[in-house]
Amino acid sequence: MTRAVLPRPTPGSPPVPEVPDPENFTLSNGLRVVCVARPQFPQAFARLVLRSGAAADPASRPGLAAMVGSLILEGTQELPALDFHTRIDRLGATLDSRVGHDFTEIDLGFLTESRGDSLDLLRQIVVSPAFPPMELERIRLETLDALEARLDEPANLADDLAADALFGGQHPYGRLAMGDPEGVAAVSREELVAFHAEHYRPDGASLIIAGDIDIASLRDRLERLFGDWQGTPPEIAYPELPDPRQTEIELANLEIEDSPQAEIRVAGLGMRRTDPDWIPGSVANFILGGSTITGRLGSNLREDKGWTYGVRSGFAAGLDPAGWVVETAVGAEVAADALREIASEVGKLRDELVDPSELARAKEALILSLPRAFETPARIVSRLATLEAYGLPGDYWKGVPDRIRGVTREQVREIARKYFGSEGLARVVVGPKVESA
Amino acid sequence: MEVELKDFAIGFEAETLDNGLRVIVHEDHAAPIVAVHVMYGVGSRDEHRGRTGLAHLLEHLLFEGSANCPKGEFDRLLENVGGTNNGSTWFDRTNYYEVVPSHAVELALWLERERMAHFLPVLDGEMLDVQRSVVINERKQVYENRPYGLAYERLNELLFPADHPYSWPTIGYTPDLEAVTLDEARRFYERYYSPNNAVLVLAGDVTFEQGVEWATRYFGDLERGPDVGHGIPTTVGGIRGNAGTETLYDRVSFPRVYYAWSVPPYGSGDWIALDVLSYLLSDGESSRLQRSLVREKELVQQVDSYLYPTASAGIFGLVATARSGIGSDQICGAIDAVIEGLEMDLTEEEVVGAIRQARRDQLNGLATVEGRAEELAYAATVLGDAGRVNEIMNAYADVTPERVIEVARRYLSPEYRSVVIVEPQTTEVAA
Repeated sequence: MTRAVLPRPTPGSPPVPEVPDPENFTLSNGLRVVCVARPQFPQAFARLVLRSGAAADPASRPGLAAMVGSLILEGTQELPALDFHTRIDRLGATLDSRVGHDFTEIDLGFLTESRGDSLDLLRQIVVSPAFPPMELERIRLETLDALEARLDEPANLADDLAADALFGGQHPYGRLAMGDPEGVAAVSREELVAFHAEHYRPDGASLIIAGDIDIASLRDRLERLFGDWQGTPPEIAYPELPDPRQTEIELANLEIEDSPQAEIRVAGLGMRRTDPDWIPGSVANFILGGSTITGRLGSNLREDKGWTYGVRSGFAAGLDPAGWVVETAVGAEVAADALREIASEVGKLRDELVDPSELARAKEALILSLPRAFETPARIVSRLATLEAYGLPGDYWKGVPDRIRGVTREQVREIARKYFGSEGLARVVVGPKVESA
Repeated sequence: MEVELKDFAIGFEAETLDNGLRVIVHEDHAAPIVAVHVMYGVGSRDEHRGRTGLAHLLEHLLFEGSANCPKGEFDRLLENVGGTNNGSTWFDRTNYYEVVPSHAVELALWLERERMAHFLPVLDGEMLDVQRSVVINERKQVYENRPYGLAYERLNELLFPADHPYSWPTIGYTPDLEAVTLDEARRFYERYYSPNNAVLVLAGDVTFEQGVEWATRYFGDLERGPDVGHGIPTTVGGIRGNAGTETLYDRVSFPRVYYAWSVPPYGSGDWIALDVLSYLLSDGESSRLQRSLVREKELVQQVDSYLYPTASAGIFGLVATARSGIGSDQICGAIDAVIEGLEMDLTEEEVVGAIRQARRDQLNGLATVEGRAEELAYAATVLGDAGRVNEIMNAYADVTPERVIEVARRYLSPEYRSVVIVEPQTTEVAA
């Protein structure tokens, strides 16, 4: 059968990426509210961002913030835990909390028809959780089991070793946000109550809402619901770290007998989310390993060698400089080869200027992906929450395309030299034994 | 019963080209992006025991270039225009999709034409070997080197007879993957990758007229392929492969229990009632299983249920992971008690809550143009009519407590259930 070959179409000018213009206001108690109306679907999403995460844990109580985050969902002054959840489930709503190193985030999703009731449930867990002793004991045991279960995953073991190599036990980023068994076992109800009283405060917190909402009536409704909630949380101090880039870090090799794969991490110290290097860093990282198929690492390890299903790299966002990590799982027999190839690709980016067409492609990919990044109410909430959490300017996203366009080949090499260093990279292999290179 | 859920529908128009390609266009001009989705009516159900994994391996190969678009160029062209693309293979279908800014729709269509019409000249042994290795690594990463990773594979082996294609995993068995020949890959492609075995959906910032014009330009001249029947019977309830209970040992800290039943296929009224039952059993902290197993009896860390929208039979499953010191037998007993006691205090309010939860997840799935494209393509592929997706979504509101009990009694019967229990193996992991 002969089939015609059609000429490849050449796309014209791309549409100009638009990012939503949110409406912002601040309630009388200092809570910032950011909203975007997207009435297409009869539902909405909200995220409350509190600037207290596991970094606020006292040294003796790793896991305290995370336990508070779990327990606020287990009963309020007005409703016992099961009644509370029955209310949520009957509304078809979702309410979850997530405690990271820097922030506690509470997510609410609701159908338009239940918006009033849903926002009231959010108020209850934030303002007046009850911390029932019985629920504390159950959540404590579940958390201890979860801490044990996660160690069954080789990928988690590799992540933990990389975090420890970069940050050690003294910095919050070196520990798990969910805590450790000692901290979780020891935490008391009084400590939960005190942490909540100190850190769950409106001044400096943000509530981001997008979806099928009426912004005019929302302000009054929120003022009524949250007006009595008052106060300012303390600033969280992060410990000063010696720069791990100054030291040679030994290969961390955890052997698991008969492991079919090697979980590999190559990690270095990254930057704050607010660092001016973030945008050029995103471009440089995209070229190296931002996409598993077209990134240099993926082209080599997967598409050329067939050693892995996927390999990626990325900077983690943080209030303090967080990590930059290459992660992959390769066949156990090629673990040492993979480490060598990763080092070689990283080295090339440090030593050689990138090809202009490769740079142009990375920039277009990042710029033109913006409409997708804001496509749904849930994604809008997520993007705007990033600005609120890190204190980035409200017009940040509008400026991103021009900032990406301005990144040069020299800047990409500078980023590689600064962050993808030849020294100070932690290397982790979980699975087979490998000879230290 | 009145559930206050307004009817909700994904709007679309459809046209079939002369060569049998079904074209569906969903217009939404909210953002300047378009999802281009091609779904082929082929999946692991079209394989045979001893030759498993071929459909998925072929999907990998179909990202490796074509006669007029060399390896790597496919992804680079899309990246240049800010597009993204991916594909996936499941029991009943294989899909390929791009989401592109609206100026680059034709490029995506051209690439899909290359995939449908100009792939065979570039298929060679080296390409096959590299992707075979990638897939074997995928199998290791996603299944073999993950705790509990092989449980689902075993569960479906027990649930269906050995010659039923749902009895093997879509990714295939490693010895089968090692044995795939170039010729087999070629023949599989020739049989199934034809316009008449495909659905093309354009969703987003595009008009129906433009969509059909483009579809005709890029696919209209391709010849119709063979008519492919799939020849697997609808198999519901009561099939027993090796049904029963089997215990696996793995490097895990806690026992985990897996139940599965084969139930009516996607789109049937019983399937919809079973989906409501699934929400009622495990979605949300106050659901029946969460309440009993997590809160009251404190037996499990987590419990979930699922219902696959599969074409030959639905698959209804439950998964529960033990708390420290709890045995799998206690969990099984507690799950059985919840199912047996379903009638107890079952109110309309509880069923309405489950229906609202289902609606919530449906809306989440439809939030992106890509999500809408996939739903339309899936209904068109496995049910023969894209519009069925809207009918199904709106039929949830009619499910009553009586219907939920009826389907639970009819299908979730212990004698037609497969159970896999994963127990911690006793040998220590070397540090």
